[in-house]
Amino acid sequence: MTGPEIRPIGDDALALIVADRPRRHALAATLRESGKWLDVVPGKGEVTVQFDPLSLPPGEARAVLAALAQALPPEDALTPPHVTLTLLADTESAPDLGAIAEANQLTEDALLARIAASPLIVDMMGFTPGFAYVEGVDPALQVERLAKPRQKVPAGSVGILTGQLGLYALSSPGGWPIIGRILEPLFDPTATPPFRLEVGMPVRMEIRR
Amino acid sequence: MTVRVLKPGPLATLQGAPRQGLRHQGIPASGPADPLSMALANRLVGNAPDATAMEITLGGAAFEFLGEVAFAVTGAPASCTLSGDAAPQHETLRARPGDILVIPFSDAGTRLYFAVAGGFSATQILGSASTFLPAGIGGLDGRALGPGDEIEALPCAGGGVPSLEKTPEKTPDRLRPAMTHEHRLCCVPGPDFPESGDAIWGQTFRASPRMDRIGIEMTGNWPPFAGSALKPSAALFPGAVQLTPSGAAFVLLPDCQTTGGYPHILQVIRADRHLLGQIRPGDRVNFSRRTAEEGHEELKAKAAQFGGWLPGFRF
Repeated sequence: MTGPEIRPIGDDALALIVADRPRRHALAATLRESGKWLDVVPGKGEVTVQFDPLSLPPGEARAVLAALAQALPPEDALTPPHVTLTLLADTESAPDLGAIAEANQLTEDALLARIAASPLIVDMMGFTPGFAYVEGVDPALQVERLAKPRQKVPAGSVGILTGQLGLYALSSPGGWPIIGRILEPLFDPTATPPFRLEVGMPVRMEIRR
Repeated sequence: MTVRVLKPGPLATLQGAPRQGLRHQGIPASGPADPLSMALANRLVGNAPDATAMEITLGGAAFEFLGEVAFAVTGAPASCTLSGDAAPQHETLRARPGDILVIPFSDAGTRLYFAVAGGFSATQILGSASTFLPAGIGGLDGRALGPGDEIEALPCAGGGVPSLEKTPEKTPDRLRPAMTHEHRLCCVPGPDFPESGDAIWGQTFRASPRMDRIGIEMTGNWPPFAGSALKPSAALFPGAVQLTPSGAAFVLLPDCQTTGGYPHILQVIRADRHLLGQIRPGDRVNFSRRTAEEGHEELKAKAAQFGGWLPGFRF
């Protein structure tokens, strides 16, 4: 067996290619616990680690990463407890719900029920503080980005693209069609931890109209 | 000791250490756009390199000292005055109650750093005092400084105001960063370096007016953006150069997003990222190819150059 696939990202980061999501999440946790890295960031197909080359020379960083990647048993994924979120889908909070339902030849309620029944899981967080990419949405629902991104999407908004939801923890510009708003705060900088969600967490949606 | 903001200029924020270890939750680094200049200001007043200081954008700012304190201003060159007298940058200066520091607009560089002995008091959030405006965290209530804001200095280590008793210091000439309208940024090709990418090295690009603490738009003859170039989101760090559908590229700064899907074509080497904070609209920028190993050598060389004057500073 060959070693893990590692790609350099500039002069102070390395990407470890891990296609399988549970394994990627488990590896990210292991790499973070190792204390060797400044940051450990899972993406959609890899985990990227950043290091200070003055403390950990690049060649050594690569060897350490390869060793940590090999050492982990593949079935080590610990799933965090699930979280239940209230999705308010009234007219004001869900400006794009009608258009998406129509495009998919569903009623709004049927579309929301389809989402609530999907095995949702937080795949990745990034972009802006607490923005969560939630995978598992029934891929039969076809949704594309807005042709023109909104200047401002309210905090808690739930965007949808084919196969996934995007939860805006903060108010920010946004290009995902919006189908509702989570009533529970997703980001509280004064709380420990500051985020309600974490990578690998299963999500249940309770729909409120 | 308190400093009152009379005029903040276009943007003034409190910045300290970058946030680390939270990018997987979407929390960016923040901290000074030019950490070297901030460390030089802090050095002159006896602070740690990442003690909380004020980052002033372009200048056009004025402050009143409500107490006696040692202070220093570094970064973009400007003919500062203290109650009408010249207040040279890169020197430890002494302010008395009622003194007015005027920082006029600079004509090169973008950011000035104003440090006081002890460092400014700021809200610590997620392990750092640095202001991150999009999330409204850190600094002074997570916001930009405005006229009338009063910011306290923290007591100096050991109490009192030790820097006042010490001989005033100056940044040695050889360590003062040159501020011009031309920048050479050493880069390692990024994970999405395009086939036609070698043409980048010989070109000159221009910084557009679209710039903030998240990134700087650079216009010029970039390789074409292919519609198929969007890829699944992956980690990004300051110093990343991303090609965008508009045909321009963005160089990312400390407040940048933590992940993204645009082609990541270049990565400015760690040793050169402090330069990004001084690029000004209209400035000319060249990119110079390096391998990761060469980047490491340049980092060692710069760390050795500044290590004696700035103990504890990390590029």
